[in-house]
Amino acid sequence: MRSKGAQISIALVCMILGIMLAVQFRTTASIEATQTDERLTELTQKVQTLTEEREALAEEVLTLRSKIANFRQTDQALADLQEEVTEAHMAAGLIPVEGPGIVLTLNDSPLNLQVGENANAYIIHDRDLLLIVNELKASGAEAISINGKRLTAMSEIRCAGTTILVNWDKIAPPFEIKVVGNPDMLESGLLMRGGYLEQLKVLGMQVQLQKMESVEIPAYTGSFKFTYGMPIDYEEKAE
Amino acid sequence: MWLLIIFCLLIGLLIGFSIPVLFPITLAKYMSIGVLAALDSVFGGIRAYMEDGFDSTIFISGFIVNTVLAAGLAYLGDRLGLELYLAAVIVFGVRIFQNLGIIRRYLLKKY
Repeated sequence: MRSKGAQISIALVCMILGIMLAVQFRTTASIEATQTDERLTELTQKVQTLTEEREALAEEVLTLRSKIANFRQTDQALADLQEEVTEAHMAAGLIPVEGPGIVLTLNDSPLNLQVGENANAYIIHDRDLLLIVNELKASGAEAISINGKRLTAMSEIRCAGTTILVNWDKIAPPFEIKVVGNPDMLESGLLMRGGYLEQLKVLGMQVQLQKMESVEIPAYTGSFKFTYGMPIDYEEKAE
Repeated sequence: MWLLIIFCLLIGLLIGFSIPVLFPITLAKYMSIGVLAALDSVFGGIRAYMEDGFDSTIFISGFIVNTVLAAGLAYLGDRLGLELYLAAVIVFGVRIFQNLGIIRRYLLKKY
């Protein structure tokens, strides 16, 4: 029955099939496109708003600091207080600090991982940094920064997935710890026998210690926020 | 015959790509099963044509009914929480390959 009718019906059906295929193809393509587009625009917007927020906050910090600086300059009568404020700012990490000290660079172990060994043993952890920072503080450090993040009284050093958070910023190896203080004291504190640095070296971590005549440590770029704490006038208390 | 099929398919694709119609997104999944069924019908038709057992009525009714049934089955499966479209995919997939195999053998015999 290879009639004309058969050919016509096959032709017709093929055409319809072609239309269906094409429309289906375009539908699928459009669904995928809209899905990725939506996600993309959402993320882009989020990044934009966060960047703007961050910039605005950074500007606010700058203006507030310049205000403080203005107050400091204009008011001569408060010269003594100024010094106190400067010291307090240094302690709080609000102004950059320069002076003799050391630069300690730490990096993950370059050794190849053997079968059955735990990869965790070959990378620098948040607790390593914490212990070293603690050791530095005990050795008389006056200001510390890790990868350009100034450590303040409220700074955290915390593991966050594959990175480490300092001042809520992510940092990654190599870690460069800059310290202002007595270089000899700091060095001997770190190189103490059985000290933590020695343990890290045993594990194969790359440790570099440099005594410097002048180390520059940046200021804390964030802002402090006290929601719960209220200052108590201690002079009144003393009475 | 083959020229006719390819020609008509191309015309259909051209039309499909140029018209601004899209399936509703909620129905797109069921339509894809329908397209598979249609594809199966066409291969079945070509095979019947080569076996000289072609019947226009069976062919066209099979094309329409299979398409609608497959889409409807997938829809029903979704409502029942049962992945019924898998049944359609497997059945039509297997049949498409069978039909293609038979068509191939005919062509090899012929030439």
